[in-house]
Amino acid sequence: MKIAIGSDSKGFELKQQIKELLDRLGHEVLDQTPEANLDFFDATTKVVSVIQKEQADRGIIIDEYGAGPFMVANKHQGIICANVFDEHSAKMTIGHNNTSVIAIGAGIVGPKLAEKIVEAYLDAAYDGGRHQIRVDMLNKMC
Amino acid sequence: MKISIGCDHIVTDEKNNLVAYLEGKGHEVIDNGTYDKERTHYPIYGKKTAEKVTSGEADLGIVVCGTGVGISVSSNKVNGIRSALVGDVETARYAKEVLNANVIGMGGRIVGEGLRENIIDVFLESEYQQSEENDKMIERIDALVANEEAKNDDHYFDEFLEKWDNGGYPDK
Repeated sequence: MKIAIGSDSKGFELKQQIKELLDRLGHEVLDQTPEANLDFFDATTKVVSVIQKEQADRGIIIDEYGAGPFMVANKHQGIICANVFDEHSAKMTIGHNNTSVIAIGAGIVGPKLAEKIVEAYLDAAYDGGRHQIRVDMLNKMC
Repeated sequence: MKISIGCDHIVTDEKNNLVAYLEGKGHEVIDNGTYDKERTHYPIYGKKTAEKVTSGEADLGIVVCGTGVGISVSSNKVNGIRSALVGDVETARYAKEVLNANVIGMGGRIVGEGLRENIIDVFLESEYQQSEENDKMIERIDALVANEEAKNDDHYFDEFLEKWDNGGYPDK
C-alpha cells in the first residue's frame, strides 16, 4: 500500500519509527513532513491533501495527543479520520467507517502499541454494505 | 451546565447511563437520541448533538457510538464544532484546555463506564487556557469551513434514508 505519513515536532520521533515499520512491512511511504518543526495543523493538512488527491491509499498523522489532527482532518471534504489509541478501534474503524487517515498521539500511545495500531489499521478492509449509508452521510457533510 | 448528548443504537444503554450520571450531578441534559436499539445511523445523532452546541442551546456536547469514531467525526463536520475523540482523561483535559473542544466523543465498546465518567468530569471541569498561541490555532481550525447549508436541516440526510428504505444499500 501507499501510505502518506506526517508529524509535528512532538510526533517526529515516533513517525521515524513507524516509517521503519512500514518499510519492513513492504509499504511505500510518502513522508510529507521530513522537517521536524511543523505544528499539527500543517502536518495534518499536508497528509490530508495527498489523500484527497488519491496519491496514497491511507494516511497516518502523529502529534502529541491525536486530538488536534482529528479536528483538522475531519474538517476536510471526503476525509474520515480516527484518533486511535487501541488495536481494536484501528481495525473496526476501517471496517465500519472506511477511515482514510488515522491520528496517533505519541504522548499517549507508547511505541509498541503504536506499531500494533498501524499493523491492525493496514491489515483491515472496509466492510461496505450497510456501513456505506453512514459514510455517504459523512461525505455529504464535508 | 447544559449538556447535549447523542449516540447510535449500539450504545443506547451506555448513553442512558451517562444521562443519569450527568443529571445526578445537577446538569441539564438534552438527549438527542437514539432512544432505542433499532438500527440507525450515527451521523444523524452526531450532527443533532453538535448543532445544539453551535446554536447555544447547550454548553457542551457528548457523543458515543461503538468505537466513538463515526459519531465524533460527524459532530466535527458541523461548522463551529471542535470535537475530540478520546480514550483517556489526559487527552480530554488537553482538548478542552488547549483546543477549547466543545464536543467530546468516546467508544462505548472501547472505554469502560468508570473511565467514561472520569473523562466527562474532567472535560466539563477543565477550562480553556487562553493564550495567543491557543487562540490562533483555534482560529485556524474554525476557518476550515464545513458545509454551512447542513445546519439545522432535519431533512439533510433524506436522500440516503430513502435509498436505504428502497434496499439501495446491500446487507441491510
